[in-house]
Amino acid sequence: MVENLVLGIGVTALAGALATVAGAAEDTESDIGSQGDPNSQVQLAPQMGYIHRIFNKAVSGEPPAYGLWCALGAGVAWAFMAINLNAILALIVGAAVAVFVQGVYATTAYLGRTASLAKFEQPVYIDILKSVTTVTMAHAFVAIFTTISMCYLMVAALGHPFPLPLLGLVWGIALGAAGSATGNPFYGKERQYQEQKFGAGVPISASGNIVRYAEAGERSSLDNGWFTSKLAGPASGLCFGLIVFFELWRTVLFEPFAGGWGAVIAGVVVILIFMVIDRFIETWARTTFGPYTEAAAAEPEEATS
Amino acid sequence: MSALGGAAAGGEGINPTASVIGIVILLVALGITFFIASTGGAIALIGIIIGGALIGFGVHFVPVGGAPAAMGQAPGIATGVAMLAAGAGLAGLFGGAWAAELGFAVALGAGAVGGGLMMAITCMMVNVIYVFGMGIPSASGKVDKDPITGDTFPEYKSQGTEGHGLPFISYVGGVIGGTLGGLGGTLIYVELLAVYEAALPVIYNAPLEEILPVAVSLAGIFAVGMFLVNAVLTAYNITGTIEGPHDPKFKRFPRAIIASAVASAVCGMVAIMVVAL
Repeated sequence: MVENLVLGIGVTALAGALATVAGAAEDTESDIGSQGDPNSQVQLAPQMGYIHRIFNKAVSGEPPAYGLWCALGAGVAWAFMAINLNAILALIVGAAVAVFVQGVYATTAYLGRTASLAKFEQPVYIDILKSVTTVTMAHAFVAIFTTISMCYLMVAALGHPFPLPLLGLVWGIALGAAGSATGNPFYGKERQYQEQKFGAGVPISASGNIVRYAEAGERSSLDNGWFTSKLAGPASGLCFGLIVFFELWRTVLFEPFAGGWGAVIAGVVVILIFMVIDRFIETWARTTFGPYTEAAAAEPEEATS
Repeated sequence: MSALGGAAAGGEGINPTASVIGIVILLVALGITFFIASTGGAIALIGIIIGGALIGFGVHFVPVGGAPAAMGQAPGIATGVAMLAAGAGLAGLFGGAWAAELGFAVALGAGAVGGGLMMAITCMMVNVIYVFGMGIPSASGKVDKDPITGDTFPEYKSQGTEGHGLPFISYVGGVIGGTLGGLGGTLIYVELLAVYEAALPVIYNAPLEEILPVAVSLAGIFAVGMFLVNAVLTAYNITGTIEGPHDPKFKRFPRAIIASAVASAVCGMVAIMVVAL
């Protein structure tokens, strides 16, 4: 009993760590490839006369895209495990196959979406296709491999009833949802509109005027990955890691109590704790930054310039 | 008034003709299921319909800002309605399916809490990014005062935007939406699992223990599929973005519940027919 519990807690910690890496890699991949909602500005920019060299691969929303890739990776891995291939090797092969599909989607999405902007004189840059696609694939491999490894732990060590491919679909969608929710604002506001004022939203009138130049030459999507991996990536990783960890932790540790209701009560308590933290963050921001009134406007601008 | 929202498409009322046609389709689906799969199948279908309606209702609570939120131009979470709701609901389904062997009520509770937990963490991290990464406080664009905390918003909206971040009412809405999504998804799963556990051993002439992985997989796949059907259907009702329960678009939920119930009835009928025919 105690050994099972210790094993369960260890697996929970490992799954949480894998999820953290997955979240960070997923967000960085989507920022380099420009897959999330901020890509609307990448698509809009040439239409407003701003020609750029940013990658443009919004295949679909991040959740269904990662749902597909993780389900594919988990499905291939599951098939190889069924013929008694070593589990780690099967997971690597599964992730590799899924990454090739991701690469195909990324290539066709960049070519198709950029070609559709031809009438606005936006060129298709072949060097971008060569240099950025492989980088997104590398990040996608990390995200997919860690996610399906986490799913494998849930099945093999924790005994979840879902088969591996279904868990890949479920957690792939959750991964995309967590990563896009947390990482998108930082990529959209702080990177694409870096020249706008810090501490305020982008005025609607500035839409499409994304930053297109770097310290030397034109900005590349690889620069965006470098920038967002400093906060958006780790924050997305923390988000997905916390979700997976607490989802498993409350079940592994508290399900034996009160006929299963222990896990439910623990979940409610954790929700309430996060609610209090959120409220603290909200009030902290209001008191620290102050309102955007005439009198208070000068102070935050000076503090951030 | 709004450069982002534009005119509301489709209005907010219920179309009586469409609703009557929908309810007739629902009743026909229920009748066919009762005729082919007897009372057990019909009761399971009613559970599936309730689950679908819960998902449709729950999605309206989830604060989704889409692309404008990613630029800090509008409040909410910077992703799509259906996507976020699916992420939360499926995380709930994961927990519900895990607890399915402990009984109906525990499974539903575990599913609901799983969805709520996913949203609680995600919404908190959204505010972490907005506040600590971008220096932007939360402000609603739809109401001047938070109905829960009483915080005022107009002076906290930066120039040229409709608001940004996640005010507390939106946070609570997100948690409620995730909870309802997880509850609905798990209800669909549990009902389908009961149908398959009863039917598959007879079809394959094998003990339940051998058939259980097939039943779990089939019920899980159908539950995920029906979740996505209901989430996407509701996203069409919302048309773009919604801030949460305080958003005027929230009042559109009755017609989404009707649509979700009808879609769930038809999908549920097909899912039950897989083993009943």
